[in-house]
Amino acid sequence: MRTLTKMMAVSAVTALALTGCGRADEGSTDTGSGGESAAAGFPADSTIGVSLPQKTSENWVLAEQLFKDGLSEAGFKADVQFANGGVGEQQNQLQSMVTKGAKVVVVGAIDGSQLGTQLKAAKDSGATVIAYDRLLLNTDAVDYYVAYDNFKVGELQGQALLDGMKAKKPNGPYNIELFAGSPDDANAKVFFDGAMKVLQPKIDDGTLKVVSGQTQFTQAVTQGWKAENAQKRMDTLMSGSYSSTPIDGVLSPNDTLARAIMTSVKAAGKPLPVVTGQDSEVESVKSIMAGEQYSTINKDTRNLVKATIDMVKALQKGEKPTVNDTEQYDNGVKVVPANLLEPVIVTKENAKEAYANDPTLSKLTQ
Amino acid sequence: MNKLKEIFGGDIRQFGMIFALVFLLVFFEVATGGLVLDPGNVINIFQGNSYILVMAIGMVLVIIAGHIDLSVGSVAAFAGIVVAIAMRDWGIPWWAGILLGLVIGALVGAWQGFWVAVVGIPAFIVTLAGMLIFRGANQYVGKSLTIPVPEQFQMIGAGYLPEVGPRTGYNNLTLLIGIALCAAIVFGALRNRRNQRKIGADVESGTVLGIRLALICAAILAVILTMASGRRGTSLPISALILGALVLLYGFLSTRTIIGRHIYAVGGNRHAAELSGVRSKRVNFLVMMNMSVLAALAGMMFVARSNASGPFDGVGWELDAIAAVFIGGAAVTGGVGTVVGAVIGGLVMAVLNNGLQLLGVGADWTQIIKGLVLLAAVAFDVYNKSQGRRSITGLLMQNFGRRSTEETTEKVGQES
Repeated sequence: MRTLTKMMAVSAVTALALTGCGRADEGSTDTGSGGESAAAGFPADSTIGVSLPQKTSENWVLAEQLFKDGLSEAGFKADVQFANGGVGEQQNQLQSMVTKGAKVVVVGAIDGSQLGTQLKAAKDSGATVIAYDRLLLNTDAVDYYVAYDNFKVGELQGQALLDGMKAKKPNGPYNIELFAGSPDDANAKVFFDGAMKVLQPKIDDGTLKVVSGQTQFTQAVTQGWKAENAQKRMDTLMSGSYSSTPIDGVLSPNDTLARAIMTSVKAAGKPLPVVTGQDSEVESVKSIMAGEQYSTINKDTRNLVKATIDMVKALQKGEKPTVNDTEQYDNGVKVVPANLLEPVIVTKENAKEAYANDPTLSKLTQ
Repeated sequence: MNKLKEIFGGDIRQFGMIFALVFLLVFFEVATGGLVLDPGNVINIFQGNSYILVMAIGMVLVIIAGHIDLSVGSVAAFAGIVVAIAMRDWGIPWWAGILLGLVIGALVGAWQGFWVAVVGIPAFIVTLAGMLIFRGANQYVGKSLTIPVPEQFQMIGAGYLPEVGPRTGYNNLTLLIGIALCAAIVFGALRNRRNQRKIGADVESGTVLGIRLALICAAILAVILTMASGRRGTSLPISALILGALVLLYGFLSTRTIIGRHIYAVGGNRHAAELSGVRSKRVNFLVMMNMSVLAALAGMMFVARSNASGPFDGVGWELDAIAAVFIGGAAVTGGVGTVVGAVIGGLVMAVLNNGLQLLGVGADWTQIIKGLVLLAAVAFDVYNKSQGRRSITGLLMQNFGRRSTEETTEKVGQES
């Protein structure tokens, strides 16, 4: 029994020595919310965490470099990480950013509603949380939202569709079809509503005619944003509604779907209608220059990253960052103040100037 | 030096994984300037990986029995979405949600167990099919949407032990659990020693046993004290508590019970086991079913931690669980492995992940390094065995006072 006592004592002492003693913050009051602490600013060489989703598209890879360069240039310690392993990995990354004492956490979420616990931990540590490109849902632990104005994207697409058809055929009525994005993506409905704000009055006054009659969002959706689904639906529409009627225009929410729609029309042996798009994908920019796809949307990642870094700089100085929308983005728990950037519509006419800053796309528009 | 060998039970090299874990901790602690062992971070490591470790416990039994389960991620996601929807739409309370999840896991497990054990299709194929079936089922049930779960349910993934009693500078409940755990280990070891002496077996010297127990207890208390000293409101995560309970339960089941020994026997040499009267079909069925129940539990823990169940939960989890098991010293051929080993293997991966993230190493390099570690760990074990030494696995078991069981394992393993 003597050995036992000795042993327990040794264990306890070793353990204590290993861990140091007790809670550092015992007795101190809880730290205030990030909003308040942000008002006081923070040291100019603080760590800024940037948590991005999977490294799957060019935009994100570009964003990584821009964040690293931009933040270091401003004097911050940039900690930019991708979560290729999925939501679980992004959760762990956010936690380690909190451990590292990041003052601002910029989050491009894989799934905006699965990070609540980690965002709360970030807020509790006094950090400010900025949702980048994708809104963080069902949590009050988010301070700002920076993104392109997606409703505006829809409006621009709707307007481009009208303009494009007018340029081909000065007087209506025009036959059109509507496509929307995936229903599990919160943005898809926003794009569609934006476009319908422009198109609905024209449908009502008979200028536009949706021959298939499918004008509801739920009828127009494309599951998973998948090209094959859009193509199948277009095939059906072509054989069902346009075997003898010409089609003048198609509202497409993005470039991938736009190309799928055009493939389907070509396969049906009909002349190409005016097709809208979004994302400025390389293939679609080529298609626009070749006179096939009518328009796309340019949401320059450079501007988005710059706006985010400006926000971080303002927070560092203790100033209030610029926001231009305090009503529209309700995440289910609170309305998140947003800084929305204006997207740019690109057609063959303005492609050259629109992509002047883009090393890849500027070559295609020469 | 001889004393040192005795304390660690023979050959120091055989302690590979524990040393690797300690080495990684020390290395990252220095490299990150003391962030790794920060209480908040230690809590994160456990909270962020408990669900993988829970699956590793089930997976090690599957692998010991000579099978594999590729469907765990999909099963976890399926259970998660059903529970989330049941709680949201039917309004069932959180505890009923957990029960429902476990029942779903059992049903799914019975389905897979039926094909593996009764029909006799290789588990690789059955669970590959299961991976597709239940991923699809998850997206069908959830319509590819993300479904939030109520706050009480979030406790099992994101909750902590509550603060009770006087302010001691630590979380009191956490401390109590740590002390109770140490006491249980010490008394277990002493009782074991008394029994051995009673049957006239050799007993090791008291000093050696004492120092070994002191080291184990120091390690446990160090972890517990660190977690207990986290920011007020944080302490031992509930998810780590669930994990701990499962490690004890399955550690006991796999080494001290008939069914546990049968798993080793079937995995080591199925025909020999059958001739000795082991009902291998029943063993296979139970092992597959158990895996799915634990996968469902892991899925719920993840959903709780994420506050919501999503369409891509569980993607790639099977690989994390399988890697943990092999790093922990299990053999691809079956018959060899331990629950504790698998959990330590999982912790090696977790610490590696966490340390690299704290250092700001990118996801690309993290994956490369993790792959190399997996390869090195298994190569190390294979080399050791080819040198006629016992595998790390055996040592791990020995360390936890299960010397007698390990020899039989080896024998069965060699017969195959």
